[in-house]
Amino acid sequence: MINLTNKRVLVTGASSGIGKSVAILASKLGAKLIITGRNSERLNSTFELLEGVGHEQFICDVTDYFRIEEFIQSSVKTNGPISGFVHSAGIEKTLPLKASKNDIFKEVFETNVFAGFEISRIISNKGMFNSAGASFVFLSSVMGKLGEPAKIIYCSSKSALLSGAKAMALELASKKIRCNCVLPGIVETEMVKNLFNSIPEDAKEKIVTKHPLGIGKPEDVASLILFLLSDHARWITGSEYVIDGGYSAQ
Amino acid sequence: MKKTDFVNELADYCEFEKEGLLVNTPLKDVEGYDSLAVMSMIAFIDEKFGLKFTAVQFEDISDCNSIIKLIGEDRFEK
Repeated sequence: MINLTNKRVLVTGASSGIGKSVAILASKLGAKLIITGRNSERLNSTFELLEGVGHEQFICDVTDYFRIEEFIQSSVKTNGPISGFVHSAGIEKTLPLKASKNDIFKEVFETNVFAGFEISRIISNKGMFNSAGASFVFLSSVMGKLGEPAKIIYCSSKSALLSGAKAMALELASKKIRCNCVLPGIVETEMVKNLFNSIPEDAKEKIVTKHPLGIGKPEDVASLILFLLSDHARWITGSEYVIDGGYSAQ
Repeated sequence: MKKTDFVNELADYCEFEKEGLLVNTPLKDVEGYDSLAVMSMIAFIDEKFGLKFTAVQFEDISDCNSIIKLIGEDRFEK
Protein backbone atom coordinates (compact mmCIF):
# COMPACT_ATOMS: atom_id res chain seq x y z
CA MET A 1 0.00 0.00 0.00
CA ILE A 2 1.38 3.39 -1.00
CA ASN A 3 1.83 5.68 1.96
CA LEU A 4 2.66 9.36 1.61
CA THR A 5 2.02 10.32 5.21
CA ASN A 6 3.44 13.73 6.04
CA LYS A 7 5.30 14.01 2.75
CA ARG A 8 5.00 17.59 1.46
CA VAL A 9 4.25 17.43 -2.25
CA LEU A 10 4.19 20.40 -4.62
CA VAL A 11 1.95 19.96 -7.68
CA THR A 12 1.82 22.51 -10.52
CA GLY A 13 -1.20 22.61 -12.80
CA ALA A 14 -3.33 21.26 -9.98
CA SER A 15 -6.51 23.06 -10.99
CA SER A 16 -7.46 20.41 -13.52
CA GLY A 17 -6.64 17.12 -15.19
CA ILE A 18 -3.82 14.88 -14.04
CA GLY A 19 -2.43 17.49 -11.60
CA LYS A 20 -5.79 17.75 -9.87
CA SER A 21 -6.11 13.99 -9.65
CA VAL A 22 -2.57 13.60 -8.26
CA ALA A 23 -3.25 16.23 -5.59
CA ILE A 24 -6.53 14.68 -4.44
CA LEU A 25 -5.26 11.09 -4.40
CA ALA A 26 -1.97 12.08 -2.71
CA SER A 27 -3.94 13.79 0.07
CA LYS A 28 -5.91 10.57 0.58
CA LEU A 29 -2.59 8.78 1.08
CA GLY A 30 -1.57 11.23 3.78
CA ALA A 31 0.49 13.79 1.85
CA LYS A 32 0.47 17.49 2.65
CA LEU A 33 -0.15 19.25 -0.63
CA ILE A 34 1.14 22.53 -2.00
CA ILE A 35 -0.91 23.12 -5.12
CA THR A 36 -0.48 25.81 -7.77
CA GLY A 37 -2.58 26.88 -10.71
CA ARG A 38 -3.58 29.99 -12.64
CA ASN A 39 -7.34 29.84 -12.20
CA SER A 40 -8.31 30.74 -8.63
CA GLU A 41 -11.82 29.27 -8.84
CA ARG A 42 -10.68 25.93 -10.20
CA LEU A 43 -7.64 25.72 -7.92
CA ASN A 44 -9.88 26.40 -4.98
CA SER A 45 -12.22 23.62 -6.04
CA THR A 46 -9.24 21.20 -6.04
CA PHE A 47 -8.17 22.55 -2.65
CA GLU A 48 -11.62 21.86 -1.19
CA LEU A 49 -11.40 18.24 -2.34
CA LEU A 50 -8.11 17.59 -0.52
CA GLU A 51 -8.36 15.28 2.48
CA GLY A 52 -6.70 16.11 5.77
CA VAL A 53 -5.19 19.39 6.92
CA GLY A 54 -2.00 21.36 6.40
CA HIS A 55 -2.36 21.89 2.66
CA GLU A 56 -1.46 25.13 0.87
CA GLN A 57 -2.58 26.66 -2.39
CA PHE A 58 -0.86 29.33 -4.43
CA ILE A 59 -2.55 31.02 -7.38
CA CYS A 60 0.11 31.94 -9.89
CA ASP A 61 1.37 31.62 -13.40
CA VAL A 62 3.97 28.90 -13.16
CA THR A 63 6.34 31.00 -15.28
CA ASP A 64 6.30 33.81 -12.72
CA TYR A 65 9.55 32.44 -11.33
CA PHE A 66 10.25 35.22 -8.84
CA ARG A 67 6.87 34.81 -7.08
CA ILE A 68 7.15 31.01 -7.16
CA GLU A 69 10.59 31.10 -5.55
CA GLU A 70 9.43 33.49 -2.83
CA PHE A 71 6.40 31.34 -2.13
CA ILE A 72 8.33 28.05 -1.95
CA GLN A 73 10.98 29.56 0.33
CA SER A 74 8.36 30.93 2.68
CA SER A 75 6.38 27.66 2.62
CA VAL A 76 9.46 25.60 3.50
CA LYS A 77 10.39 28.03 6.26
CA THR A 78 6.93 27.77 7.82
CA ASN A 79 5.94 24.18 7.15
CA GLY A 80 9.10 22.22 6.44
CA PRO A 81 10.98 20.76 3.49
CA ILE A 82 9.50 19.28 0.34
CA SER A 83 9.51 15.54 -0.41
CA GLY A 84 7.81 15.53 -3.77
CA PHE A 85 7.36 17.71 -6.83
CA VAL A 86 5.03 16.97 -9.74
CA HIS A 87 5.25 19.27 -12.76
CA SER A 88 1.86 18.85 -14.34
CA ALA A 89 1.33 22.35 -15.72
CA GLY A 90 1.36 22.24 -19.48
CA ILE A 91 0.19 23.85 -22.70
CA GLU A 92 -0.90 21.94 -25.80
CA LYS A 93 -0.38 23.42 -29.28
CA THR A 94 -1.45 22.01 -32.62
CA LEU A 95 0.14 24.14 -35.33
CA PRO A 96 1.75 23.34 -38.67
CA LEU A 97 5.47 24.12 -38.92
CA LYS A 98 4.90 27.24 -41.02
CA ALA A 99 2.90 28.77 -38.16
CA SER A 100 5.24 27.52 -35.42
CA LYS A 101 7.00 30.78 -34.74
CA ASN A 102 9.60 31.53 -32.14
CA ASP A 103 7.26 33.36 -29.73
CA ILE A 104 4.91 30.35 -29.61
CA PHE A 105 7.84 27.98 -29.00
CA LYS A 106 8.92 30.24 -26.14
CA GLU A 107 5.43 30.35 -24.62
CA VAL A 108 5.07 26.57 -24.64
CA PHE A 109 8.61 25.81 -23.49
CA GLU A 110 8.31 28.34 -20.63
CA THR A 111 5.41 26.42 -19.11
CA ASN A 112 6.08 22.84 -20.18
CA VAL A 113 9.84 22.76 -19.65
CA PHE A 114 11.52 25.80 -18.12
CA ALA A 115 9.06 26.17 -15.23
CA GLY A 116 9.55 22.51 -14.26
CA PHE A 117 13.33 22.81 -14.27
CA GLU A 118 13.25 26.19 -12.51
CA ILE A 119 11.15 24.81 -9.67
CA SER A 120 13.46 21.78 -9.51
CA ARG A 121 16.38 24.18 -9.12
CA ILE A 122 14.63 25.98 -6.28
CA ILE A 123 13.62 22.82 -4.42
CA SER A 124 16.98 21.10 -4.84
CA ASN A 125 18.75 23.82 -2.85
CA LYS A 126 20.00 22.79 0.58
CA GLY A 127 17.29 22.94 3.22
CA MET A 128 14.44 23.06 0.71
CA PHE A 129 14.01 19.30 0.23
CA ASN A 130 13.64 16.47 2.66
CA SER A 131 17.15 15.19 3.40
CA ALA A 132 15.73 11.66 3.76
CA GLY A 133 14.91 11.78 0.05
CA ALA A 134 12.71 13.47 -2.49
CA SER A 135 11.05 12.62 -5.78
CA PHE A 136 10.49 14.86 -8.82
CA VAL A 137 8.02 13.71 -11.47
CA PHE A 138 7.69 15.51 -14.81
CA LEU A 139 4.57 15.13 -16.94
CA SER A 140 5.96 14.45 -20.37
CA SER A 141 3.79 12.78 -23.00
CA VAL A 142 3.90 9.86 -25.36
CA MET A 143 4.33 12.72 -27.86
CA GLY A 144 7.76 13.26 -26.31
CA LYS A 145 8.81 9.99 -27.96
CA LEU A 146 6.69 9.98 -31.09
CA GLY A 147 5.82 12.51 -33.75
CA GLU A 148 2.54 13.79 -35.12
CA PRO A 149 1.92 16.34 -37.88
CA ALA A 150 1.39 19.88 -36.56
CA LYS A 151 2.82 18.96 -33.15
CA ILE A 152 6.41 20.15 -33.54
CA ILE A 153 6.23 22.56 -30.61
CA TYR A 154 4.37 20.26 -28.25
CA CYS A 155 6.43 17.14 -29.10
CA SER A 156 9.75 18.94 -28.73
CA SER A 157 8.76 20.46 -25.38
CA LYS A 158 7.72 17.08 -24.00
CA SER A 159 10.88 15.51 -25.37
CA ALA A 160 13.04 18.16 -23.71
CA LEU A 161 11.64 17.08 -20.35
CA LEU A 162 12.87 13.52 -20.92
CA SER A 163 16.54 14.34 -21.44
CA GLY A 164 16.51 17.13 -18.86
CA ALA A 165 15.08 14.81 -16.22
CA LYS A 166 17.73 12.17 -16.95
CA ALA A 167 20.57 14.69 -16.55
CA MET A 168 18.92 16.01 -13.40
CA ALA A 169 18.55 12.47 -12.03
CA LEU A 170 22.30 11.92 -12.31
CA GLU A 171 23.17 15.27 -10.81
CA LEU A 172 20.76 15.01 -7.88
CA ALA A 173 21.22 11.32 -7.00
CA SER A 174 23.82 12.20 -4.35
CA LYS A 175 21.17 14.36 -2.66
CA LYS A 176 18.74 11.40 -2.71
CA ILE A 177 16.49 13.28 -5.10
CA ARG A 178 14.98 10.99 -7.75
CA CYS A 179 13.80 12.42 -11.09
CA ASN A 180 11.47 10.57 -13.43
CA CYS A 181 9.11 11.24 -16.30
CA VAL A 182 5.64 9.95 -17.00
CA LEU A 183 4.50 9.81 -20.62
CA PRO A 184 0.72 9.60 -20.89
CA GLY A 185 -1.27 9.05 -24.04
CA ILE A 186 -4.57 10.87 -24.50
CA VAL A 187 -6.30 11.35 -21.17
CA GLU A 188 -9.72 12.89 -20.48
CA THR A 189 -8.58 16.33 -19.33
CA GLU A 190 -9.57 19.93 -20.03
CA MET A 191 -6.59 20.25 -22.34
CA VAL A 192 -7.68 17.25 -24.39
CA LYS A 193 -11.29 18.47 -24.38
CA ASN A 194 -10.03 21.73 -25.93
CA LEU A 195 -7.97 19.77 -28.45
CA PHE A 196 -10.98 17.61 -29.38
CA ASN A 197 -13.12 20.73 -29.78
CA SER A 198 -10.62 22.11 -32.24
CA ILE A 199 -10.21 19.14 -34.59
CA PRO A 200 -12.68 17.49 -36.98
CA GLU A 201 -14.78 14.51 -35.86
CA ASP A 202 -12.88 12.02 -38.05
CA ALA A 203 -9.52 13.14 -36.63
CA LYS A 204 -10.95 12.70 -33.15
CA GLU A 205 -12.15 9.18 -33.93
CA LYS A 206 -8.76 8.32 -35.39
CA ILE A 207 -7.06 9.37 -32.13
CA VAL A 208 -9.48 7.37 -30.00
CA THR A 209 -9.11 4.18 -32.07
CA LYS A 210 -5.32 4.43 -31.79
CA HIS A 211 -5.70 3.72 -28.04
CA PRO A 212 -6.48 -0.04 -27.77
CA LEU A 213 -7.58 0.37 -24.13
CA GLY A 214 -9.49 3.55 -24.93
CA ILE A 215 -8.83 7.06 -23.71
CA GLY A 216 -7.33 7.21 -20.22
CA LYS A 217 -8.64 8.90 -17.11
CA PRO A 218 -6.53 11.31 -15.02
CA GLU A 219 -6.49 8.85 -12.10
CA ASP A 220 -4.95 6.16 -14.34
CA VAL A 221 -1.86 8.35 -14.69
CA ALA A 222 -2.05 9.72 -11.15
CA SER A 223 -1.67 6.18 -9.71
CA LEU A 224 1.70 5.80 -11.41
CA ILE A 225 2.83 9.23 -10.22
CA LEU A 226 1.85 8.41 -6.64
CA PHE A 227 3.99 5.28 -6.84
CA LEU A 228 6.94 7.32 -8.11
CA LEU A 229 6.47 9.79 -5.26
CA SER A 230 6.46 7.01 -2.69
CA ASP A 231 9.33 5.18 -1.00
CA HIS A 232 8.37 2.06 -2.98
CA ALA A 233 10.13 3.73 -5.92
CA ARG A 234 13.31 4.50 -3.94
CA TRP A 235 15.55 2.72 -6.51
CA ILE A 236 13.97 4.40 -9.55
CA THR A 237 15.51 7.48 -11.09
CA GLY A 238 16.20 8.79 -14.59
CA SER A 239 13.42 6.60 -15.95
CA GLU A 240 10.48 7.23 -18.22
CA TYR A 241 7.14 5.50 -18.00
CA VAL A 242 4.80 5.29 -20.94
CA ILE A 243 1.17 4.97 -19.85
CA ASP A 244 -0.98 5.21 -22.94
CA GLY A 245 -3.52 2.40 -23.18
CA GLY A 246 -1.37 0.68 -25.82
CA TYR A 247 -1.06 3.69 -28.15
CA SER A 248 2.68 3.36 -28.69
CA ALA A 249 2.68 -0.44 -28.86
CA GLN A 250 1.57 -0.29 -32.48
CA MET B 1 -8.69 43.71 -48.74
CA LYS B 2 -9.89 42.41 -52.08
CA LYS B 3 -11.30 38.90 -52.08
CA THR B 4 -9.04 37.90 -54.96
CA ASP B 5 -5.97 39.10 -53.05
CA PHE B 6 -7.10 37.07 -50.07
CA VAL B 7 -7.43 33.94 -52.21
CA ASN B 8 -3.97 34.50 -53.69
CA GLU B 9 -2.33 35.07 -50.32
CA LEU B 10 -4.10 32.08 -48.82
CA ALA B 11 -2.96 29.93 -51.72
CA ASP B 12 0.62 31.15 -51.29
CA TYR B 13 0.59 30.44 -47.57
CA CYS B 14 -0.92 26.99 -47.98
CA GLU B 15 1.18 26.25 -51.05
CA PHE B 16 -1.85 25.55 -53.26
CA GLU B 17 -1.59 25.86 -57.03
CA LYS B 18 -2.92 29.40 -57.65
CA GLU B 19 -3.74 28.93 -61.28
CA GLY B 20 -7.47 28.46 -61.69
CA LEU B 21 -8.14 28.98 -57.98
CA LEU B 22 -11.18 31.24 -57.61
CA VAL B 23 -13.30 32.23 -54.64
CA ASN B 24 -15.83 29.57 -55.61
CA THR B 25 -13.43 26.74 -56.53
CA PRO B 26 -14.38 23.68 -54.45
CA LEU B 27 -11.52 23.17 -52.01
CA LYS B 28 -11.82 19.40 -52.26
CA ASP B 29 -10.64 19.76 -55.87
CA VAL B 30 -7.54 21.73 -54.89
CA GLU B 31 -4.35 19.68 -54.87
CA GLY B 32 -2.81 19.62 -51.42
CA TYR B 33 -6.06 20.38 -49.58
CA ASP B 34 -6.09 18.11 -46.51
CA SER B 35 -6.38 18.33 -42.73
CA LEU B 36 -2.90 19.87 -42.45
CA ALA B 37 -3.88 22.48 -45.05
CA VAL B 38 -6.91 23.33 -42.91
CA MET B 39 -4.58 24.00 -39.98
CA SER B 40 -2.43 26.18 -42.22
CA MET B 41 -5.52 28.14 -43.32
CA ILE B 42 -6.51 28.64 -39.69
CA ALA B 43 -2.98 29.85 -38.87
CA PHE B 44 -3.04 32.19 -41.88
CA ILE B 45 -6.36 33.76 -40.82
CA ASP B 46 -5.06 34.19 -37.28
CA GLU B 47 -1.93 35.95 -38.57
CA LYS B 48 -3.82 38.09 -41.08
CA PHE B 49 -6.99 39.00 -39.17
CA GLY B 50 -6.25 38.04 -35.56
CA LEU B 51 -9.20 35.64 -35.63
CA LYS B 52 -8.90 32.21 -34.00
CA PHE B 53 -10.93 29.45 -35.61
CA THR B 54 -10.94 25.72 -34.92
CA ALA B 55 -10.88 22.86 -37.43
CA VAL B 56 -14.42 22.06 -36.31
CA GLN B 57 -15.55 25.46 -37.64
CA PHE B 58 -13.93 24.53 -40.95
CA GLU B 59 -15.84 21.28 -41.32
CA ASP B 60 -18.52 22.95 -43.47
CA ILE B 61 -16.09 25.06 -45.48
CA SER B 62 -16.40 24.20 -49.16
CA ASP B 63 -14.62 27.06 -50.95
CA CYS B 64 -12.84 30.37 -50.31
CA ASN B 65 -16.19 32.15 -50.37
CA SER B 66 -17.32 30.26 -47.29
CA ILE B 67 -14.04 31.14 -45.57
CA ILE B 68 -14.68 34.81 -46.38
CA LYS B 69 -18.17 34.50 -44.87
CA LEU B 70 -16.68 32.93 -41.75
CA ILE B 71 -14.17 35.77 -41.42
CA GLY B 72 -16.86 38.37 -42.12
CA GLU B 73 -17.73 39.95 -45.49
CA ASP B 74 -17.31 43.41 -43.96
CA ARG B 75 -13.55 42.87 -43.74
CA PHE B 76 -13.34 42.69 -47.53
CA GLU B 77 -13.83 45.25 -50.32
CA LYS B 78 -17.23 45.04 -52.02
